[in-house]
Amino acid sequence: MKNSFFQRMAALVMTIAILAAGTPVVGYAGIIDTATVVESQQREADLATLSAGLNRADVQERMVAMGVDPAAVEARLASMTTGELRQMAEQMEQMPAGGDALAVIGIVFVVLLILELVGVIDIFKRT
Amino acid sequence: MLVCAAVLVGCATRPPVLAVRDAAHQRVELAATPFFPQERYHCGPAALATVLAASGVNVTADQLVDRVYLPDRRGSLQPELIGASRSYDRLAYRLEPDIRAITAELAAGRPVLVLQNLGLKRLPIWHYAVVVGFDEGTDHLVLRSGTTERLLMSGHRFIDAWDRAGRWGIVTVMPGDFPAEPNQDRYLEAAAGLESAGRYDAAMKAYDAAVARWPGAGTALLGIGNVHYRRHALEEAEQAYRRLLELDPGHAVARNNLAQVLLERGDAEAALKEITAARAALSDKRFFELLRDTEAEIRRSLAAPK
Repeated sequence: MKNSFFQRMAALVMTIAILAAGTPVVGYAGIIDTATVVESQQREADLATLSAGLNRADVQERMVAMGVDPAAVEARLASMTTGELRQMAEQMEQMPAGGDALAVIGIVFVVLLILELVGVIDIFKRT
Repeated sequence: MLVCAAVLVGCATRPPVLAVRDAAHQRVELAATPFFPQERYHCGPAALATVLAASGVNVTADQLVDRVYLPDRRGSLQPELIGASRSYDRLAYRLEPDIRAITAELAAGRPVLVLQNLGLKRLPIWHYAVVVGFDEGTDHLVLRSGTTERLLMSGHRFIDAWDRAGRWGIVTVMPGDFPAEPNQDRYLEAAAGLESAGRYDAAMKAYDAAVARWPGAGTALLGIGNVHYRRHALEEAEQAYRRLLELDPGHAVARNNLAQVLLERGDAEAALKEITAARAALSDKRFFELLRDTEAEIRRSLAAPK
């Protein structure tokens, strides 16, 4: 009985040790893609590691939370480069979201109307 | 009152935005450009459908809503417009931040998708529109914008709204074709995007065209090798990487990728030689871990019992 218990414990410890030793910290297999090289040429000063795909799951989750149909998210992510996914992960709430040119209401509308009339901005259709 | 006066004076002294250069192209309008009147917040899908359709893609704005529209942001983001173009096998080529890049595309028959900030720097109102024409004589541009098929905008108003949007504009080009004033780096950036998106036939066409136009373009040769690899054509991949390394023996990434190919073709010892040389040649620290991992994988393979 005692032997069996120790043997099972030893086997368990060994298994954990082997799994821990064999799992790479950065899971990488395959070649370095061209987009990564292009990006590295553009950002001379940035010494961040060019890791692959760590932001994908994060962006995926947030897209769904922001109302994208879960069935559509995969295709959208698959079309973007690692650098674009990183940009999305960092800025998807802040970067410009081109939408409706007339997305204004109430007092803001009045202010903008005044600014439009003096030619400072141009959100209303006119020549 | 003072604001009014100041602004009016400012307008009066600004020179025209569209400089008259070439009498033959004083006035262009791509009247055949499709028009997709946008529904609320959907200027992204509408503008993208416009340029894609103009480049021969059979697509409507409705079909693009699920691809680019982000409901909580009530709009669409630039990387997603570019990503969606790739799924239709089009190069989304980012223009130089110059009005003449836009007029050159129009003169070449291609409409331009632009981001505009129609509000203020601090109170931005982001909008996508498609430039379909210009008139140097009147200093106006013609846009497909929102529900307006022909929106006439003065050069100043256009430039101001475009300036506040970082002067971002793209054209969608068939792979193998070139924009009006192709810049090698921007073209390869677009081609690399097709590769990342898994559009391998399109990427290969773009890379082949790049090599034909710019024979020394190492990144294009790397791209050719990479696309062969993705298509499991390992011998062709090896040839492409070797071709690049003849031109640029210090190209550590190409040598890394060659090592990977040799490993997969069953020659781990040759692979080890290449990765060792690659690591020795590496000057960009950001690739250190990637090359280190390749070497580790090769060594694991050599150590494994046969």
